Amino acid sequence: MFRLAVKSVKHNPKRLILSAVAVALGVALASATFTLTNALSGGFHQLFDEIYAGTDVIVEPAPTETDEDGDQFAAPDAVFTHDDLAAVRAVDGVARAEGTIQVMGAVLPKDFEPTGDLMAGGGAPSQLFNWAGEPKLDQATLVEGQGPESDGQIVLDLDSAPRLGYEIGDRVAVATDTGVTELELVGLVRFGETNSLQGATLGYMTEADAATLAGSEDFQTISVVTAEGADSEQVAEAISEVIPEDTRALTGEAKAAEQAEQLDDILQYVDIFAIAFALIALFVGSYIIVNTFRIIVTQRTREFGLLRAIGVSGRQLRTMILLEALVVAVVASTVGILLGYLGALGLSALVEALSGNIFGTVTLPLDALLWGYTLGALVTLVAALMPAIHASTISPMEALRESATESKKPLRLRNIVGGALTLLGVLAIVVGLYMDVAKPYVFVGAGAMVLVIGVTLLAAQVLVPLAYGLKAFLTRVFRVDGKLAANNIRREPRRSANTAAALMIGVMLLALVSTFTESLKSVVTDQFATTEADFFVLSTQGAIPDGALELLREQDGVDFVTEVATGNVLLDGQKRALGVIDPETADAAFDSNNEPDFDAMDGGVFIDPTIQELGVVVGDELTIEGPEATLTLPVTGLYLNEGDAALWVDLATGEELLGELDYIQAMVVLDDGIDPADAEEQLTSALAADFPLVVLSSPDQLAQFANQFIDLLLGVISAMLGAALIIAVLGVANTLLLSVTERTREIGLLRAVGVRRRSVRRMIRIESLVMAIFGTILGMILGVGLGVALVKALAEFGFSSVAIPWAWLGIYMVLAIIAGVVAAMSPARRAAKLDILQAIAFDG
Amino acid sequence: MTTTVTLAASMRGGTKDYGTGDAAVRALDGIDVDIAAAEFTAIMGPSGSGKSTLLHTLAGLDRLTAGDSWIGEQQISSLSEDKITQVRRDKIGFVFQAFNLIPSLSAKENITLPLDISGREVDPAWFDEIIGILGLADRLTHLPAELSGGQQQRVAVARALVARPELIFADEPSGNLDSRSGAELLGFMRRAVKEFGQTIAMVTHDPSAASYSDRVLFLADGRIVDEMREPTADRVLDRMKQMGH
Repeated sequence: MFRLAVKSVKHNPKRLILSAVAVALGVALASATFTLTNALSGGFHQLFDEIYAGTDVIVEPAPTETDEDGDQFAAPDAVFTHDDLAAVRAVDGVARAEGTIQVMGAVLPKDFEPTGDLMAGGGAPSQLFNWAGEPKLDQATLVEGQGPESDGQIVLDLDSAPRLGYEIGDRVAVATDTGVTELELVGLVRFGETNSLQGATLGYMTEADAATLAGSEDFQTISVVTAEGADSEQVAEAISEVIPEDTRALTGEAKAAEQAEQLDDILQYVDIFAIAFALIALFVGSYIIVNTFRIIVTQRTREFGLLRAIGVSGRQLRTMILLEALVVAVVASTVGILLGYLGALGLSALVEALSGNIFGTVTLPLDALLWGYTLGALVTLVAALMPAIHASTISPMEALRESATESKKPLRLRNIVGGALTLLGVLAIVVGLYMDVAKPYVFVGAGAMVLVIGVTLLAAQVLVPLAYGLKAFLTRVFRVDGKLAANNIRREPRRSANTAAALMIGVMLLALVSTFTESLKSVVTDQFATTEADFFVLSTQGAIPDGALELLREQDGVDFVTEVATGNVLLDGQKRALGVIDPETADAAFDSNNEPDFDAMDGGVFIDPTIQELGVVVGDELTIEGPEATLTLPVTGLYLNEGDAALWVDLATGEELLGELDYIQAMVVLDDGIDPADAEEQLTSALAADFPLVVLSSPDQLAQFANQFIDLLLGVISAMLGAALIIAVLGVANTLLLSVTERTREIGLLRAVGVRRRSVRRMIRIESLVMAIFGTILGMILGVGLGVALVKALAEFGFSSVAIPWAWLGIYMVLAIIAGVVAAMSPARRAAKLDILQAIAFDG
Repeated sequence: MTTTVTLAASMRGGTKDYGTGDAAVRALDGIDVDIAAAEFTAIMGPSGSGKSTLLHTLAGLDRLTAGDSWIGEQQISSLSEDKITQVRRDKIGFVFQAFNLIPSLSAKENITLPLDISGREVDPAWFDEIIGILGLADRLTHLPAELSGGQQQRVAVARALVARPELIFADEPSGNLDSRSGAELLGFMRRAVKEFGQTIAMVTHDPSAASYSDRVLFLADGRIVDEMREPTADRVLDRMKQMGH
């Protein structure tokens, strides 16, 4: 049976090509992502290994549950005093120990101009440390010039100095919380072996300078080199005895592994994201496979009948077709995996050319193989199952029939199942939207999926009357070509519906995402439109320094400045986001959705819907555990948007809980009668001198920036859906190609009675366009509908209004028409080229 | 000739109706048939006489509405679809009028297909003998599309013979062939009966094809109306004319 299956695939591979391409494209998407994330992970593993390569033991604050996840570059709090360092040095087995002071700041490019551009100074951060002069501890080796031996000197890594425009002897501008400091560049260093910093800037200065810039003489970590022959783990244990509470000592190896693991956790989400899109692409591809195998089974009805007559059982036939599908799947998956790998290679080369080497060696990971083959085989087999079962029911008598004909099965069962699924989907969506259920978006999401399958099944029923309806129209416009095209669509409602449905799913997802993002944009625009603030203050790197806020407050024409900080706290052992605002001024600066106004906070806490769902009401008391203190606060109000911070407190309470606050945003309100344009110039130049990384932007600018970001998101998702759409268009071409082959005789007859080549081509093109446009319209209706439903379901996250992306819908329609024409090109050419005599003699 | 005739297949009271109610058509009307082993039996009759239906129900391709049929000693009318498939696989060979071969397999692979399906070994001596007689030795690697109509039918006969079935059913095997190729094919089939003792039951409407057989059964309106031993084309033609054909 296996041999017969392989032979059969080999005998006529053309009809399986597009199915294979569909599978390969989906698999390639998954394979490329796995290869890239694997390379990225490899690159960072290497980075972490090098960071901790020379250090035998690291002494650092113990991680707490309220730590931010995943921020690999944030400087930890400085907790080790010089006394602690002395104590570590005294431990047996310690050959050398040095405290590390990391400076939060950025090395500015030589030609830096404060522009108000939010992207300026962005990208990979600067890493500034005190210089130990010991390569094992610094993890850097001096390659040119000298180390920072006296105050006022700095060394930079050998890649960053030229990138930022500095040469030895230049004055390097370093921006920190307290202002801009200039240091003399005295040398260049190489990080680890290859200076692979993933694009970050590395700099070292004297301990005294570092302490000044960091604002503290204490160390964030202590790096230890052990004496020869000493066991790092034992030394780490011994050090643990002498260091303060809530700190820990661990070996460099363990630390590197820990960091790499954290990173891999994040990359895993990227993989899951990619698999989701690969699944969408393959789901669309499965429609092609179903159609192809259904047509193949029909074409081979006599062959199967013959096999049944000479003693092949139905089960064996089914197995044979599934084996054929498996052969296609294996070939297609292999191609897809290689394609993905090549794509990843190209992409990593491109990234490397644009922004430096952030990838490790790009190799094909085992994950890519496993997922590639599993996804490919699973989708192909599941899609071929129905046609295979159909083939197994072919009677041996079919071998004796004159020509292959598909017995017309009524659509009744399909309609019943389709109708039931559609109703179920709509019901779930309605329940999610209008009933008071716990997680409405789960209902809406699941309902949407069921609805899509239901509509796919029903599409066959819709397409038949549609083709009837169009027949008169098409006949009038295109005369006999149009009539024949309408008849062809009607003749195979299942096949036409499946073809259109594949496109429908792609367009639906696009329309859904664009409806969603368009609504998101209108929410953002509304939010910024209602604000009273004249300017938003943001930092392009790290938090907004206190000094910058003071500076702004002192400026003429500034009425007041109100700031927002965030942090993490524990509530009943669970991590929650804490928002910190100034209740006196917050209400006047922005129109937040809370009840009552913030000025009624009175030292208490406002809670968001997630906390309200726990049964907490105004008047209750909450015990909030912060890194610095645990406080019991009365609940004095409700914050009504979900998805921001769960708990809101005032500045004094925030500082008590979190310690020094990291301000992520501030708002400036000007005195009445001040022209914002004039004020902007004044405030920007005031900030430029000492706080070049603090940026002022008007609500309009910010809304525009946010909207650009949303558009980028839409772009990325659309690109990921691109694979699914290409597959859907291939599906239209596939169906037409197979149906041209199937109708060879009929087309030959048409040509024989005098239908011109041009007319044959036009007939195929009309069929293609009708399917493409039908699928697109269905997809748009579903996509916009579901998008609106989703936006409504997310109302408590702040989605107040629905916006329908008319412009995008117009673009999709134009693209659908182009796709219809393109998909028809090859089938139409083939149909028109048929030799009349051969076509009539063709053994159907 | 021996006095006791071994039966390769038989049917008692075979009735086959198509459709229901007013549209019902009775194709076989309580028919009794015996196909003797090691004999070449031809089944003749005008269109609609039920001859094809008789072949299909005898071979287990189709089911009787009423009555029983046997392949050898095995009663097949009450067997499940799976069991009937197995009987076809192990005991019966087929030669159809057209589309006898799997397009993706070579001639040789088509010939050994029944053995491959049932997992039996090919007997090389027997295979070579059949190929020699049928003159297919230099055609074995060709795909069906590369063979002439006569060659395709010979491959089909080889396939039917190679598994040494108890019985071969042939449905107008020469119907699509020119007269020379047709005569050649029927000659081979007759040799298989005479030299190897193969049993063949053949449906045909061509008197000259029927003349290759040992015995002709005449069907009309779903019943056997006559029987002829040692037929010649002329005698069969005369008989057919009497039947109003």
